[in-house]
Amino acid sequence: GKVPASNILASAPSDKNLDAWRESGCRTTHCNLEVLQDTTLVFLATKPHILPGVLQEIRPAVGPHHIVVSMAAGVSLQTLQRLLPAGTKVLRLMPNLPCVVQAGAMVFARGSGAGDGEAALLKNLLSSCGLCEEVPESYINIHTGLSGSGVAYVYLFAEALAEGAVKMGMPVGLASRIAAQTLLGAAKMMLETGEHPAKLRGDVCTPGGTTIHALHQLEKGALRATVMNAVEAATNRACDVAKD
Amino acid sequence: MSVGFIGAGQLAFALARGFTAAGILAAHKITASSPDTDLPTVSGLRKMGVNFTVSNKDTVKSSDVLFLAVKPPIIPFILEEVGPDIEPRHIVVSCAAGVTIGSIEKKLSTFCPTPKVIRCMTNTPVVVREGATVYATGTHADVEDGKLLEQLMASVGFCTEVEEDLIDAVTGLSGSGPAYAFTALDALADGGVKMGIPRRLAVRLGAQALLGAAKMLLESEQHPGQLKDNVCSPGGATIHALHFLESGGFRSLLINAVEASCIRTRELQHLADQEKISPAAIKKTLLDKVKMESPSLSSKVSLFTNKSPSSKKN
Repeated sequence: GKVPASNILASAPSDKNLDAWRESGCRTTHCNLEVLQDTTLVFLATKPHILPGVLQEIRPAVGPHHIVVSMAAGVSLQTLQRLLPAGTKVLRLMPNLPCVVQAGAMVFARGSGAGDGEAALLKNLLSSCGLCEEVPESYINIHTGLSGSGVAYVYLFAEALAEGAVKMGMPVGLASRIAAQTLLGAAKMMLETGEHPAKLRGDVCTPGGTTIHALHQLEKGALRATVMNAVEAATNRACDVAKD
Repeated sequence: MSVGFIGAGQLAFALARGFTAAGILAAHKITASSPDTDLPTVSGLRKMGVNFTVSNKDTVKSSDVLFLAVKPPIIPFILEEVGPDIEPRHIVVSCAAGVTIGSIEKKLSTFCPTPKVIRCMTNTPVVVREGATVYATGTHADVEDGKLLEQLMASVGFCTEVEEDLIDAVTGLSGSGPAYAFTALDALADGGVKMGIPRRLAVRLGAQALLGAAKMLLESEQHPGQLKDNVCSPGGATIHALHFLESGGFRSLLINAVEASCIRTRELQHLADQEKISPAAIKKTLLDKVKMESPSLSSKVSLFTNKSPSSKKN
């Protein structure tokens, strides 16, 4: 409820996706320049390889009042600033999928032209979609590995949990819902108590009980190292893609 | 108060050294006995001023607190031998891994109606007064008896009372624990040497690192996970190293080790419970020991002549 739909203008070359926007009450257009003319806060939400072309296109219409927020993976602030007029307020944002349900994890970094005011504006606006933190640009690829891709790791884990339950005799629909709620609840406890996850884990482990037996299995499978490998692989890939 | 040790091996030696260093007991108030006078620890005990004898009966007579510091399989033999000399004043403390209070009380009940038995599990660092000891009191041992033992063992490290059914797990954790630490330290030193540090310095630094870390944990309210985080700067050396440890399943190896030691302890107890030896056979083996051994003798006798007598090596 931060911004009325009528104040949002989205542009795309075709109508393919625009119907959904119109249904929410947003205005739509096929003209990128119109977006620049009508709005101050402009999100660049194209695929990375399209972005340079789009930037060339809108460059003439970009003014000192604009705040340009790029969400293109791998396109650096340096590149963005090079392709836009000098001094443009540019910020780079990396969200993740659950923004859609207002439980996103987002990080953003500012370019040289963006000041405290712009950062505060963006943070304020995006907090409606979840957690939003300003970071140095170097953290953005790490965020990809941790949380951008991380959402997929969680889906994988949830699926495996449910599968375990199915093996033990529970129907898959129920198992899935319980798996998801378990993850949600555990995450909520972490965020609300601020306690170290190791401590929270210990709190669940009665001596000789079920949990510690299960955790032993996870440790035997070197789950921790595997997860670290995953975050590292995704982060490195993000860096590699950025260089292309 | 006088203290006696049946058995004069690593455990008796470590405890005697610890008690005397702590000043809680004078050496001449300690008696230790063993049929084997060739043990290296025997001369050590003698040098300390501990009364050494080959007669277990003498040890019992001159002690109030009697530690059974022999290997678990030998406990039944010892109990048969000294049972008749156990009096109501004696507190019998068994340090033998896996040997239950019940089995000791059962054996002693043929000689003494209400024997005071305490079972304890300690570890070798009692020798430097940093032991980890737990104990459980038997049917006829009073609260004061437990407290007396606790006082003795607290002089050489940490000591607390537990339910008897936890003792096997404690064996796996802190009983065997120093061995895990020594192994880790040896390997850490190797790592240091590989990267160019002279061996002696590498050992010294590795040991100090573990000592310091353990001390930090004991003195801190924080979870070890938190303390670990405090050492790991983002993208730094330590987190890279930890990733290697995790990849190797370091944590699960340690969990496995504690579990294996605990399970083995229970197995040995189980085997011991099934032991059916006639008193005549016990007498024969004891007599045989007093004579010189020959290679043809059975494995039971070879237990007596084993030069590494620490009960916790099981």
